[in-house]
Amino acid sequence: MIFLYLALPLAVAAVLPLVGKVSKKTLPDLLGNATMAFLLVYTATGAKSLLAGGPLVQRLDWFGETVNLQVALDGFGLFMLLAVQLVSLAVGLFSIDYMEHYGAKANYYALLLVMVAGMNGLILSTDLFNIYIFLEVAAVASYALVAYGLEHDELEASFKYLMLSVVASAAILVAVAVLFGMTGGLSFAAVAEGLKTLPARGVVAVCSALFLMGFGLKAALVPFHAWLPDAHPSAPAPISAVLSGLLIKVSGVYALTRIFFNIFGLTPALSQVLMWTAAVSVVVAAFLALGQKDIKRMLAYSSVSQVGYIVLGIGLGTPLGLAGGLFHLLNHALAKGLLFLNSGSVQQATGTRDLEEMGGLARRMPVTAGTSLVGALSVAGVPPLGGFWSKLLIIIALVQAGEGVLAVIAVLASVLTLWYYLILQRKAFFGKLNERWRDVREAPFWMAAATVVLALLVIGMGILFASVLRTWIQPAADVLTRGF
Amino acid sequence: MILHLALLVGLVLFSVLAILARDLIKSAICLAAASLLLGIIFFRMGAPYAGVFEISVVAGLITVLFILTIALTKTEGDVRESKLVRMVFPLFFVIFALIDALVMKGLLAKIPMLESAARGGTFSDVLWRERTFDLVGQIAVILAGVFAVLALFRKRDPHD
Repeated sequence: MIFLYLALPLAVAAVLPLVGKVSKKTLPDLLGNATMAFLLVYTATGAKSLLAGGPLVQRLDWFGETVNLQVALDGFGLFMLLAVQLVSLAVGLFSIDYMEHYGAKANYYALLLVMVAGMNGLILSTDLFNIYIFLEVAAVASYALVAYGLEHDELEASFKYLMLSVVASAAILVAVAVLFGMTGGLSFAAVAEGLKTLPARGVVAVCSALFLMGFGLKAALVPFHAWLPDAHPSAPAPISAVLSGLLIKVSGVYALTRIFFNIFGLTPALSQVLMWTAAVSVVVAAFLALGQKDIKRMLAYSSVSQVGYIVLGIGLGTPLGLAGGLFHLLNHALAKGLLFLNSGSVQQATGTRDLEEMGGLARRMPVTAGTSLVGALSVAGVPPLGGFWSKLLIIIALVQAGEGVLAVIAVLASVLTLWYYLILQRKAFFGKLNERWRDVREAPFWMAAATVVLALLVIGMGILFASVLRTWIQPAADVLTRGF
Repeated sequence: MILHLALLVGLVLFSVLAILARDLIKSAICLAAASLLLGIIFFRMGAPYAGVFEISVVAGLITVLFILTIALTKTEGDVRESKLVRMVFPLFFVIFALIDALVMKGLLAKIPMLESAARGGTFSDVLWRERTFDLVGQIAVILAGVFAVLALFRKRDPHD
């Protein structure tokens, strides 16, 4: 019953504001997290076995009437659903304590669930226009969540994000309209079929460029990244974690990959464009991250850089490159989610995001410092954590495909990554304890628990990488190499 | 043909005016005029439902909302835009028009003619039977919008 991924969060979101009238905190916490926990358990147990017989298409009837409620699930979709449910549950748990001082918790969980429903809907849809609609569902919820604190810079960041996101949506919508005009269909299969018989390479090139710009903006690839370092740090920490960990990947990377692989087919030219855009993102954003003083801004630039790695692997298009790119997507979702949550713990304890003012916090916040180290080392690609294996796969794939220059860039940029993460760790957690933070305490139970769970997952990804690769990543990569 | 061309030129003209107008009320009215023309174009091209929605919702309802909101807010001094911002739009517009003129004709020639009548039958058939999943998405967008308004216009409770 894969329609649940969409219907359940929406239904719970719809009743949450009413529930909030009865119970301000406990019931919204419980309902929100129970929903996300249920979806995670369902993904890990039920949905996996559904796919045993190949890709799945489900059609729903509306009280006996045939309507076109069609959702589809394949290996790639299931893998993305797993990433979404994992990170959103951790974020939900973290929010129990963290969102206390923001108020209006019922409303917060409602928006979070709508955003999750939007991402799930996007993953399950089989049609270009559906992709656009669910992109907007997740985006509208995220605008409100970025501005949730209602302070001046949060509203400004949200507005900037909104404006650039609208440009992205417009580019995507134009491309969808042109494809519909040409082929007379909107479903992936119909458009792919229609394009086969049309002598319209120029039109496909224009549409590819529009999609690249639109989804590139959503994924914050350089040069379309300007909104992200404002929007992601301004949001409440759990929302930063969802935005950086999930949203840019689902509404940017996933949608782009689906369209380029399952509809257009990856041409050598397109592959080169994708890889070089990605390589520029990796390097430019890594340098920009080096110079940041604000812990969340540094993490945000790091996201731009790491999305570059993901697109580098996927853009290469070889089975190994795809596996590496997708594995890095999962690793980065977990590790960056963890790091943003930790930055929230630090900000709540000290009231600052400025790395210069921190120092020695490891003595007062050992759990936060320890889990943060795990996340940072994984993103930087230090063995034996997950990020090491995924970067290694991407680099080996680049070398195998004869892309030596890109492989060297990827290696050097990962040294840069390690460098700025060590700066972050040293300035925030190690060294002498700043006297101002003598009375700082470790994060409350649920916040610490959420980060510990994510840190264990990050370690698990590294140790069990072979079996993760076999059970989750390989089926996803297979869908992309086979096409539809 | 001449009428069609006049409608299209009017549409572009009013859209540009809506962006360039300094006065928000004038801007809103220009937008309404542009979408009225677009609605008429939809009618003439055999898409009556799109025309009805365009005129009633975009030209009518949304304009009323805009003008109401503008009337309810106070002007507190002019915000001066930098010259650069004022230059950017005309520049982009000219570039876009050039690309349009160069590329679109060639593109349109390649696009095969599709039958203009809806294949699935009536409007409600298409909406309810073929595009049902879109409706679920629409419901989600509306929910997101309502929650966003509730969140952004909430009063901060000192006890929270």
